[in-house]
Amino acid sequence: MVSIQQQRNAVFKAVADPTRREILSILRHGGQTVGGIAGHFRMSRPAVSKHIRLLHGAGLVATRAEGTATVCTLNARPLRAIGEWLRDYEAFWSTSLASLKQYMEEKR
Amino acid sequence: MNATAPHASPQATQAIVQEVTIHAPAAEIFRALTTADELMRWWAAEGQFRTVYAACDLRPGGAWLMMVEGACGTEPVHTVRGVYRRVEPPHLVEFTWKRDREDWPESLVRWELEERDGTTTVRVTHSELISEAMRARNNGWPLIVRLLEKWLGSGNGSPSAGAGS
Repeated sequence: MVSIQQQRNAVFKAVADPTRREILSILRHGGQTVGGIAGHFRMSRPAVSKHIRLLHGAGLVATRAEGTATVCTLNARPLRAIGEWLRDYEAFWSTSLASLKQYMEEKR
Repeated sequence: MNATAPHASPQATQAIVQEVTIHAPAAEIFRALTTADELMRWWAAEGQFRTVYAACDLRPGGAWLMMVEGACGTEPVHTVRGVYRRVEPPHLVEFTWKRDREDWPESLVRWELEERDGTTTVRVTHSELISEAMRARNNGWPLIVRLLEKWLGSGNGSPSAGAGS
């Protein structure tokens, strides 16, 4: 089973890289083939494919075969892992402040 | 109500800011925030987590570390660490924040204390969580942040815009 932490890290890792964010931006207006995406970059097609595989692994890019080409589409849903991470931090700080207040006021 | 409600807002992509009013002098609260044995005494939440070890080299450039254990000791201990950036007792302490198990750049935590007649307003700001940390290599972030804010702002839905053709 993949833990929430692992899922989060997969999404974090996917979006932490500027090339991969660029790929997501390219896909925001619709699906594109791997070749079409590679056309936006100066790096080799295998290098671009590697980034796409990582995005696919994180669930951010869906792929489907269309003839001999692979068409990629953006799936923003896994970004909720980052949203949940922010929510967890908000809850963490709220709890921490309440705990600090209780400690300080009971001490007196 | 003393602490702000624990639900995320779109602004959370910039910084999390929360405040509490404590009936204690700023100097005492500052000590609780910056000394290891005091941190271990208060930084916990019943049934959620507790701090099992802390170390503070309280000076700009000095390292701090805390080891946190999950509820009931069932979750593995994880470490949060960082470096003090600003140390200005009893009003301000600022340090970097990095959790060992998170594959993510460090963020920044600032505690600000403002005392009036023995009562202190304590504000914590956790920033550089998403976009600010990436300012230097900003390309592509606006989309991520926009999708994220959409999701955070929509309660519990998922961002739909940009989700394909």
